[in-house]
Amino acid sequence: MNNHIKALIGVSGREINRMTSRPLYLLAVVLLPLLSLLFFVSLMKEGVPVKLPIAVVDYDHTALSAKFSRTIDATPGSSVVMTPATEHEALSELRKGNIYGYVVLPHNLQSDIMNGTQPTVRFYYQNGLLIAGGLIQNDLTVTLHTLSAGVNKQKREAMGQDEVSVLAAIQPIKPDVHLLFNPETSYQVYVTTIMLPIMLQIFILMITVYSIGIEIKERTSREWLRMADKSVLIALSGKLLPYTVIFFILTMFSNFLLFSVLMIPVNTSVVYLVLLSLVFVLAYQAIGVFFVGLLPMMRHSLNLAAFYGILALTLCGFSFPIEHMPEVFRLWAEAFPVRHYMHIFQSQILAGFDFVYAATSYLKFLLFLLLPFTIIFRLKSALIYQNFIEKIRITDAA
Amino acid sequence: MKTFILRTFDRFKSAVGNTALIFQRELVLLLSDLGVTILLLIVPVVYPFLYSLIYYPEVVRDLPVAVVDMSQSSDSRAFIRKLNATPDLDIRYECISMEEAAEKFRKRENRGIVLIPETYSSDLALGRQAVVSLYADMEFFLYYKAMVMGAGLVSIEEGNDIQIKRLLNAGLSERQAEVFSNPFVISGNSIANPAGGFASYGIPAALMLIIQQTLVLAIGIMAGTARERHKLGTLIPCDLRRMGTFRMVLGKSAAYFLIYAVMCFYMLGAIPAWFGYPDKAGFSQLVALMVPYLLSAIFFGLCLSVFFKNRETPMLLYLFLSLPLLFLSGIIWPLSNMSPWWQVVRSIFPSSHAMLGYIKMNSLGADISETSHEIAMLWKLTAFYFVFACLVYKTQISKVKKLVLDAG
Repeated sequence: MNNHIKALIGVSGREINRMTSRPLYLLAVVLLPLLSLLFFVSLMKEGVPVKLPIAVVDYDHTALSAKFSRTIDATPGSSVVMTPATEHEALSELRKGNIYGYVVLPHNLQSDIMNGTQPTVRFYYQNGLLIAGGLIQNDLTVTLHTLSAGVNKQKREAMGQDEVSVLAAIQPIKPDVHLLFNPETSYQVYVTTIMLPIMLQIFILMITVYSIGIEIKERTSREWLRMADKSVLIALSGKLLPYTVIFFILTMFSNFLLFSVLMIPVNTSVVYLVLLSLVFVLAYQAIGVFFVGLLPMMRHSLNLAAFYGILALTLCGFSFPIEHMPEVFRLWAEAFPVRHYMHIFQSQILAGFDFVYAATSYLKFLLFLLLPFTIIFRLKSALIYQNFIEKIRITDAA
Repeated sequence: MKTFILRTFDRFKSAVGNTALIFQRELVLLLSDLGVTILLLIVPVVYPFLYSLIYYPEVVRDLPVAVVDMSQSSDSRAFIRKLNATPDLDIRYECISMEEAAEKFRKRENRGIVLIPETYSSDLALGRQAVVSLYADMEFFLYYKAMVMGAGLVSIEEGNDIQIKRLLNAGLSERQAEVFSNPFVISGNSIANPAGGFASYGIPAALMLIIQQTLVLAIGIMAGTARERHKLGTLIPCDLRRMGTFRMVLGKSAAYFLIYAVMCFYMLGAIPAWFGYPDKAGFSQLVALMVPYLLSAIFFGLCLSVFFKNRETPMLLYLFLSLPLLFLSGIIWPLSNMSPWWQVVRSIFPSSHAMLGYIKMNSLGADISETSHEIAMLWKLTAFYFVFACLVYKTQISKVKKLVLDAG
């Protein structure tokens, strides 16, 4: 046993030597992951996009239409940055990307409202950009309904109704919206919390595949295996241990950014946070080992890891919910640890539900840790026989 | 004078010949390398297809909702029926208590809860405001949207009907009651993507990003492989016939340009047609956008390729950038709310301009003049990266020449 530990430490030491010998490792293990984390934390620092630029086309030019413009400008979501003379102009500005929507206040707006001929107020929003378009749509719908209710209210008050009954008369049913676990509808909570682990998993996968694949490619795998007392388990554990430590620290750092810098509330014990970060790193290392075992020629396993790592963005289901995808993708999504990470994050950390509601997701994480055992013999023979090496032809003659 | 013209002509002829040779050699190398062929020919074909299938449902419909009806009146049942009738929501459970609904929520059996209070019916009868509580799952933006939009609209409509009914009872005519409760009509119209479909929004932009990313990765892998294959580990082969900065840069670029010009017909023509994505951009508009985009992306790739010492380096050092680039493009987080610092970082990547430009042309129907900012930026980047690529290659060539001379 003692010998095994000695071998393990020896292999880890050898790996640390390798890591410090090439700048590639510093970039792919520390610098680029750090930059990616900081990028996603700083990009959406507003939380919700506010004061999106819109336009008002005022054909009416009355006191009422001016009041409408002011009210629209005063909403937190949008800001009137221009008042084009025609709709045509407004549309062109929207196409140029200068505004995300516009409101058209028609001719005779004021007099039609007074006369009770019910004019139409149209508004347009740019739905080619879903977030900006959705916010503008929501914002303008609410604002215009408020304005409409305001006119209604004025009429009723002129008729002598008191304020309380006017409110009940205008809006007999009031929806009282409770936004669970993300009351500010912050994109930091939606997006950043998931993007950080998605970025980390790409780096963990790629570097795991690379650190093993390079031994085969450069024919150093036998030496590596010898150092580990010819035990492939010790060889792998020793090699991956330094990366486990570094990526665990990075994952904890991303937790620090989320919960201490962005102040996203943690509604569970920190123990779970540590546990989750650890199984997250280990699961992706296991998948990386599985990929190299499956395709010991590094160029192919790296391609596979790239395909899988990028697809995680889609199949973790944060952009579009998994439950609404076709059945086959629902099953496929199970093969992405980041999907289970997201479930645990939302159920346990964000919502503060008991451990039992997230327990199956933890179990699935453990299943990923078994993956390397399915290819362990194939990998070992690849390390010994080095039979997955491409021949490099020298194509120029000096 | 005559000999000068002849000499220039000869030099020109050999330059064109050499460029053609480099072009041909690059093309042969590309297509004989399985990894690069996958990247150039398979990934751009498969990814759009895969994403289109994943996002095929486009929008969230029939979100499972639990309703807790404390009122148990005909009024509350009418409200529930209306909720169920909206395409966004599906009233899957009628729970007797909030606790029961919450437990189902924790098990993710429902994604939202509607609570109708005991006083609902009496409030309405007595002319008091009835408050309906909506609990929206904020886990997914699209769930929240379905719940708040769906249930919010039903409350507005149902409230409107009640208001009109009361006004009718008070003796107003139908028209008067309608005008009274709605002094003006509100009409919201979407420009582009009326259904709010996710695929129609995301996939055209993703297509643009895939073009740049596969190009840069392929060029990088070719460069890394070249270094492994060349005897002295140099980017340029030790073959004096093929030296010449412009010849190298132009010859190589032409090979990639040719392949991607062909791929564009599939990605920008066939995919939108098959899956019904927006296709408002005409051929001439697409050419105006894609020519500078492909050129700038290729030269950008050539510039980066010097940093890739091995075949696998681009995958390790460049691939991850795809996700930040997606967020920098301005199609997710609005440009108007991006910090000036990130705007600068954004503008050095060809993909940012191409993604936004393509959305404008293709979804909004913008013409070339309305996309002029993006097109101009792409040409500027083309010029910048071309000069940079030439400098990079010039240094590499002189390095090789020196090595060859030293070796004797």
